[in-house]
Amino acid sequence: MDLVNTTTAEAPSPPSPSSVISAVAVSKSWGTNQVFSDVTAEVPPGITGLLGSNGSGKTTLLGMLLALHEPDSGQLRVLGQDPADAGPELRMHIGYAPEHHNLPDDVLAQDLVRHIAMVHGLPRREATTRSSDALWLVGLGEERARPIGTMSTGQRQRVKLAQAIAHGPKLALLDEPTDGLDPVQRDDMLALIRRIGTEFDIHVVLSSHLLEEVERIADNVVILANGKVRAAGPIDQLYQGQGGMTVVLDDGVTDVANTLQRAGYVAEVDRNTIRIGTDEPLEQLANAIRDAVVEHGAPLRRLDASRQSLEDLFLDEVYGS
Amino acid sequence: MSTAESAEIFDRGYRAYDGPRTGVQSSMRAVFVATVQRALGLRRKFRYKIVPLATILIAYVPALVFLGITALLPSEIAGQVVAEYAGYFELITVMMLLLTAFVVPEVMGSDRKTGLFGLYMASPLSRWSYLGAKFVGVMAVLSLVTTMPSVFQMAGYSLLGIGPDGFVEILKTLFKIVVSGLILSIFFALFGMAASTLTNRHLFASAGIVMTTIATTGFTEAIIENTDSPAWVELFSVFQVPLELIVRVWGSSDEFPGITGVSTIASFGAWAGACVLFAGIILFGYRRMEVTK
Repeated sequence: MDLVNTTTAEAPSPPSPSSVISAVAVSKSWGTNQVFSDVTAEVPPGITGLLGSNGSGKTTLLGMLLALHEPDSGQLRVLGQDPADAGPELRMHIGYAPEHHNLPDDVLAQDLVRHIAMVHGLPRREATTRSSDALWLVGLGEERARPIGTMSTGQRQRVKLAQAIAHGPKLALLDEPTDGLDPVQRDDMLALIRRIGTEFDIHVVLSSHLLEEVERIADNVVILANGKVRAAGPIDQLYQGQGGMTVVLDDGVTDVANTLQRAGYVAEVDRNTIRIGTDEPLEQLANAIRDAVVEHGAPLRRLDASRQSLEDLFLDEVYGS
Repeated sequence: MSTAESAEIFDRGYRAYDGPRTGVQSSMRAVFVATVQRALGLRRKFRYKIVPLATILIAYVPALVFLGITALLPSEIAGQVVAEYAGYFELITVMMLLLTAFVVPEVMGSDRKTGLFGLYMASPLSRWSYLGAKFVGVMAVLSLVTTMPSVFQMAGYSLLGIGPDGFVEILKTLFKIVVSGLILSIFFALFGMAASTLTNRHLFASAGIVMTTIATTGFTEAIIENTDSPAWVELFSVFQVPLELIVRVWGSSDEFPGITGVSTIASFGAWAGACVLFAGIILFGYRRMEVTK
């Protein structure tokens, strides 16, 4: 598959000024372990899903975005700034919700959220008001004066989200924000993240191993594997070229399939069903099928557009077809 | 009377923020305040306040007793009973040790155990500005035991007419009290932070602080008493190192002669060397600490 904005580049182009995050030929290793190798990728504004299996470098990437680790080589820019040069200034505008569920048990939710807002540079009064607003937004308005230790996993996840956004960041890094939630809580959390990413001018990077939830709420995706960005860009664009159509005919299956193959399509026949894959927009394929069916007078029973799921895309990119 | 024109909506709910943001110093101040609050059990349940507040109050008891004795007994008798300033620091060292063992692991280890350290590192703070804020916070709490009782003692003596004579003498005494307090506070803050760097377990760190102090003191005393070892061996006692330097600040007396045969430079060197060692443990430990999980 053609990758979008990704991987090795002999002569890297400069990062786009409109990108929230851009990496040009970035490499990083821990000792002899190469975590990233000559990676080039851009993350546009909106909600971005960061997908990757264990050890794929997600943690290291988050650390680099937070300026906690410097790349060995290459250029990394977050919100238009080089993290290595603008670490503290940059982190002032980034919210971070970690993966772990540990939070200070004996601290009140509102105290923690206000404290983190103040640590991010908000004056005390603003921090107090905004921590309350953030807790109301995530559905913990009535619970804000409760010690975190008395809260459920779902409520703790919401506290983590509230502390990540209370200071009004431009970019929120959410590490596995639905971990430990039941299906209903997960749906609520995803809806909340979608709302945060669309209503409040906050770009969201969502790290997750659940492909389905990334597919549901993200505008963009970055797929990491073996130290490389295997695919990155808007999900819609990644799906383009990953689609196809399924045709079920009562008769003339071979004739129609041969016509489509002569037109350059890969058409697989299975009894009275033809599966056609394409890198082109589906509309173009639909027209070709229509013409072939008309040409042979084949009785058409069914015509479906088949689109790969993000899981197919992920498996395809990471493990090959 | 209010009108529709003057009405304002105050609760607008969550919204984007484009107001002022203060710098790293404000972030450090927030961590400093949180450190002091946590150390003293403020904004927490009553049981968290008992040990720190009791320890701090007990540190003031000798000063109160001395002031009572001075006020009630004839000066000849009182002079033999009450401790000099240098001696006061020796009296409160046990309280200092208890406060260090209780407070420092609480304010250092809990940040790592609860993941708060990771949240701090995702803020404008760096590891070093975080440690700086923590160090100043711990110092401030320890100063409540190291410096303030002696200031209280001096103020009481002055009110009773037996304090330093004149403004200059008061300033000199105050300066010595502050320097002595800093010697103790810096030493024990770094000692406690180093022990807390090595483990996330509050209990282990507290036990380590107490046991190291007792073990080094007992060990050096045993060596001095049972062998012909030179006097500087005592500088390996965690208790003795800061106290020895404090004796040098006030000048040795019959009551607190200090270690004979050890120069002030050697005494300072032992204190500074120990502080550098503790600081090295802290910096090395935090430099390697993982924060993004």
